[in-house]
Amino acid sequence: MSFPNLHRKRLPIYIALLTLAIALAVPRPAPDHVPLGAQQRVETTVPLLCLHTLLENEVQEAKIKRSLILARELGATTIVQFFPWAYHEPSKGRFNWERADRILAHANRQGLQVIARLGLVPAWARPSSAETTSTLNYLPADSFEHFARYAAAFAQRYAGAVKALIIWNEPNLSFEWGYRQVDPAAYARLLRASYAQIKAANPDMLVLAGALAPTLEKEGSAAGLNELDYLDAMYRHGAGDVFDALAIHTYGFRDPPAAEPDRERLNFRRAELLREIMIAHDDGDKPAFITEFGWNDHPRWTGAVRPSQRSAYTIQAYDYAQSNWDWLESLCLWALRYPADLLSYPDNFTLVSADFRKKPIYFALQDFSRQRAKSEALWLPPPQEA
Amino acid sequence: MAAAAARGLKRPIALGLSMLVLGAIAAAAFAALIRHAAPPNVSSAFPAGEIVVGVDGSFPPFALDDGATLQGLDIDLAKSIARDIGLPIRFRNIGFYALHDALISGQVDVLISALRVDPARMDDLRYTASYFDNGLLLVTDADDMAAQPDALDKARIAYEYASSAESHIRAWEEDGRNLSRRPYELPQYALDALRLGQAEAAIVDATTFRLYQSARNGWSAKSEFITHDPYAIALRIDRVDAWKLVDSALAALKESGELGRIVDGRL
Repeated sequence: MSFPNLHRKRLPIYIALLTLAIALAVPRPAPDHVPLGAQQRVETTVPLLCLHTLLENEVQEAKIKRSLILARELGATTIVQFFPWAYHEPSKGRFNWERADRILAHANRQGLQVIARLGLVPAWARPSSAETTSTLNYLPADSFEHFARYAAAFAQRYAGAVKALIIWNEPNLSFEWGYRQVDPAAYARLLRASYAQIKAANPDMLVLAGALAPTLEKEGSAAGLNELDYLDAMYRHGAGDVFDALAIHTYGFRDPPAAEPDRERLNFRRAELLREIMIAHDDGDKPAFITEFGWNDHPRWTGAVRPSQRSAYTIQAYDYAQSNWDWLESLCLWALRYPADLLSYPDNFTLVSADFRKKPIYFALQDFSRQRAKSEALWLPPPQEA
Repeated sequence: MAAAAARGLKRPIALGLSMLVLGAIAAAAFAALIRHAAPPNVSSAFPAGEIVVGVDGSFPPFALDDGATLQGLDIDLAKSIARDIGLPIRFRNIGFYALHDALISGQVDVLISALRVDPARMDDLRYTASYFDNGLLLVTDADDMAAQPDALDKARIAYEYASSAESHIRAWEEDGRNLSRRPYELPQYALDALRLGQAEAAIVDATTFRLYQSARNGWSAKSEFITHDPYAIALRIDRVDAWKLVDSALAALKESGELGRIVDGRL
């Protein structure tokens, strides 16, 4: 094929126009915008009822909204939600609040209070991989102020939309401290830096400290340090002045909720041992939030109970906390739903499957929050030999 | 004239260049093919001269750390695979949440830990063939009940309350089936109900069924999978030779009947 000279000269223009026409003609997906809907109000008889959600990696806004509707319909007053620093400040000083805006708008519209967990270090605030083995949880000391600025910016932007901030997650585990030796003194310094900036930005924002993992690790362990010794060390390094309430993680494992606490055993009432440490450091006037707790009902995992026990223990735990723990503000169950199934025992911590199938424990908790007593037994008696 | 000559030369040069590029692409593809098909070299696949296996020792009967030793089906399988490859083996007991990181960061060579094949991880991992299917079984006295809607609808179906079996039954009901449900507190009770004639069918996972049968020598029932949960061995996607060796060893264990004996020994 040949073109006259005149047309050949214009060929690039024709190609550009054709490309533009194709680009305009190709259908593009509609923007993922889901209406917030009418303002909702939570109806519940259990004000302590709180759920940990995992919406930070949820791509579809409709699934965020649906998850939060499920939380409200269950009777939860509050959610704990992770807001990764790396997502919201991808380059130093340049914030992108789009994801947080979306989650918080829907949560508030469902009438839910929000406790925000902050963590996950952006690449610019970590050492380069050439310098040291770095992970997304590696926060070098010279980045504490950067993190504090992010926390303060978050507190200012979401005044009224977020009730409290949790500073870091499980810093008593090496894994959550960038695979370094855990360091309560360093965590106390991080708290101090964050507290000052958060309060300057928004004096009403509660600052929660700790969120320590329940573990039996002893001093010197490469994996971490048990939360009791760690909290004691936090106080000895002056952390008591720089938080408003303690965040506690306390899982039941194989024990029923009423099982006695014991320094050498992990169970639900281990929270009381943390409380004793607060009191020992003259900090008993401060409240606490249990921001993670629960039982697992996987048939194979050694840390699990049967599904029937999981439902019963969870409800008994709320009863126990309401009757005995006047220092507790929220009791947050891990977890409402994962965005994708993990295909192993962690899936058996959730109340709703990734494809939004409600598990029987969801209905049991909903009945409990609405004070609906079940008239019939949930299961049949064991079959008897003739 | 010179311009015409130059134009005359351009075409063969362009043709030559094209041939060169095509040749390079074909050579690269051929090399990749050869590399993929070549018999794997043990020392390059496992340069440390051992196989380091990551396992979660909190998952009996597949792996259990009793404080002194690791035991279970996955441990037996790993030892047999290492024996087939001809290398010593070392286990690292790692919790589930850190297993995949340990593999990707090179702390272990292979994960043998009752792992279900996860399509979402296939950018990083390469799985072997499955060595065990822990899907849900419909256990009955009749043949092919799952495929006969009428038979299933007339049956009393026993299952563990709030288990994955209940979720499956609820999904059937959402599809319009009107089932007679019999929930029990434990999955063993659901199988008891079938054995004692108080139900026509029970739904449990394959591990539960095998353990129940082992504990009651002589009792047998028909079973068919209604879901599949294949367990497979995972390796890092870039360790092709290691994967080939492990996958071949697993195939050999299946072929010889050794895998069946390992499973029977634990379940």
